[in-house]
Amino acid sequence: MEIPLAQELIFGLVIGSYIALGAIGFTLIYGLVNMINFAHGEFITIGAFVGFLAIAEGGLSLPVALLVVLVVTGVAGWAIARVTFEPMNDAGAVPLLLMSIGLGLVLRNGLRTVAGAERRHVPVPVETFRFDELGFFVTSQHLTIIGITLLAVLVLHLFLTRTMLGVAMRATADNEDLALVSGIDTRLIRNTVWVGASALAGIAGLMLAISQSANPNVGFGQLLLILTAAILGGAGSPYGAVAGAYLLGIGITVSVALLPSGLTALSSTMAFVVLIVVLLVRPGGLVNAEVRAS
Amino acid sequence: MSGDNEPTETSNRRRFLKLAGTGVALSTGLAGCVGTEDGGTPTATETETPGDDTPTATEADSGTATGTPTPSGPDTVTIGQPASLTGQWDFLQPAVSQSTDLASQEINEAGGPLDATFEVQRRDTAVDPQQARQVVRQFINSDQVAAINGLFSSEIVPLWDFLQEQRTPIISPWPGSTYLDTRGGDKATPSDLSDDEWLWRTVIGDTVHTSGAATAMIENDFETMGILSATTAGEEGWTSQFVNWYESLGGTIAEVVSAEAGKSSYQAELSRLFENDFDAWGLSFALEDATTIIRNWDEGGYGGQLLLEDGLMSGDLIDAVGAAAEGAWIAAGSTQGPNYASFEPKYQEFGDAEIHTWGVAAYDATNILALAIHHAGEANREAIEQSIGAVSREGGTPVSTFAEGKEALDAGDEINYEGAVTNDDFTPHGNVWGDVAVSTVTPDGFEQAFTIGADTLQGRIDDY
Repeated sequence: MEIPLAQELIFGLVIGSYIALGAIGFTLIYGLVNMINFAHGEFITIGAFVGFLAIAEGGLSLPVALLVVLVVTGVAGWAIARVTFEPMNDAGAVPLLLMSIGLGLVLRNGLRTVAGAERRHVPVPVETFRFDELGFFVTSQHLTIIGITLLAVLVLHLFLTRTMLGVAMRATADNEDLALVSGIDTRLIRNTVWVGASALAGIAGLMLAISQSANPNVGFGQLLLILTAAILGGAGSPYGAVAGAYLLGIGITVSVALLPSGLTALSSTMAFVVLIVVLLVRPGGLVNAEVRAS
Repeated sequence: MSGDNEPTETSNRRRFLKLAGTGVALSTGLAGCVGTEDGGTPTATETETPGDDTPTATEADSGTATGTPTPSGPDTVTIGQPASLTGQWDFLQPAVSQSTDLASQEINEAGGPLDATFEVQRRDTAVDPQQARQVVRQFINSDQVAAINGLFSSEIVPLWDFLQEQRTPIISPWPGSTYLDTRGGDKATPSDLSDDEWLWRTVIGDTVHTSGAATAMIENDFETMGILSATTAGEEGWTSQFVNWYESLGGTIAEVVSAEAGKSSYQAELSRLFENDFDAWGLSFALEDATTIIRNWDEGGYGGQLLLEDGLMSGDLIDAVGAAAEGAWIAAGSTQGPNYASFEPKYQEFGDAEIHTWGVAAYDATNILALAIHHAGEANREAIEQSIGAVSREGGTPVSTFAEGKEALDAGDEINYEGAVTNDDFTPHGNVWGDVAVSTVTPDGFEQAFTIGADTLQGRIDDY
């Protein structure tokens, strides 16, 4: 017996996972560094290119490539932030926002100049598991992206709740001045956030490189969905961002199945209709609380 | 805890939304102003325009060639080439650049039009209408080009009125749009400029090759089809045309599923499409998304005969999904016109860009422009416009290169340029006819399976 919409739910979880990996880092930076990072898409792009180099050029397996991407993108993101955002920490949110927009343009066009505009495909064998009697199939790529995202959420949860650094991070998000006088090294916290957010963005980039290709625009193309997921979930809340990302992903794929013929192109629009409704009904987003408030 | 801080949360949220909104607006605005893809930067065959960069109104309006005029003619004649050096169609540009440069070299080896040096100024439009508008302005006002060789359908259609105002002859190897089926050309009245629409194309229109694609499907007993199409103008145009022809030939379209470009997965759209029963399915997307879709299709094990839109005839498709798409069909204008055999070895020797229809058509467009300039006897835009039909339509001595044409013109003969991709006998609307070749995708490339002749298609298309 076929399960109605099971296939669409799986596809929605896959799309949601791509968005979630980007949205977690995006919203963490907002919650802890107090800035909206419009260059976050470029951190995803860096991850896509590092992943391409690791797998297609370096011949590494996917698990090893994931580790390489985690490390390289995390360090690269931290270094970029150190050079560009750190000196402006006290300048306020708007200058940081402008800096991030400019940085995004520079990185995007810099990557295009260095790497060229061509798309680089990452060859990864894909196995398909069919459950025809239940009305769906799932591929190894689907399971990988969903599994990585769930693992990332679990690790993040354990980090925030079970480690001193995580507790200090929450304290800093709640009140940075108070955290500082309490002896917390807030600079270390910021650095940790940049490394973690960039590393997660890099993983999203690697997975996008596998499903699409590594190209200079691959991350920028995800930015609007990431921003929407962060708003939907509640700005600054990583758990909310994950929930928002999956709601968006499932909203998009289920819309494709349910919309009348000729209107399927509006599936992404329907996801944003959900966003508008949520904002009207629950202005604080899904979790109705931000990291600093929790 | 959150309940205690509600005013703060609302404030934070409002602040986030305000900042995000500001950021999106700024990001979009900056992308438009700055140009995220090397907008307008002259590349490839870059030329230094002699004299003042800011032409007087008289200079710009007269459309004279660049260079210091001499009693016998200009030193240099420049044409502008709007190019897709970046953007989603950039993979098609190398062949067009290579063909244009090959033609340009041959033209100069033959002494050039009006015995002047022939130059091509290439500027990137990223196939963006606004960037294209800026580039056309630069060509006319700064580079003072005699004519333009290029522009995609998605640039021409929104800029149509603007292009008409420029009164500059444009021969493009790119546009397939049905919009141009009844627009463009000189309306077969070369001496009367009042009805001219200044746009000519050396590649067959979508009307012709979608008709060929539909004929191919029907003749091979694929009587019901599904279509997965992007919502971009070019892809929707292909889909609409194909569906019209296919249904008019007796075929049935089970469903057209439309989707936005740039998604990370198209599994949901494929799942929706394959809920229908059909014999074959068509895919009308640009390369980046098409490769994602073909991978998704292969992974999902959907099966069925696949027909690809003509724009996907690229080696990049083979490299990315050649094995997954094995057996798929692609119907495109045949590259092999009357003089393809003589063109092809020269092209292969000149560079290593992968050949395709638009690349061959660019060779023809460049030669026709140079011959029209020579025929006009001056690098005046109106005179060139009046000469385009004269050097290419039936009648006169058949020629296949600029050198042959120049020699015949200098001898006082009329000429008929016969191109590498079509015979370039322009219709009154500035269009050309050609065969449609149906090729099969293999892991190693495209293998031509059969051809639908232009004669077959000509009988079905009334106004073109």
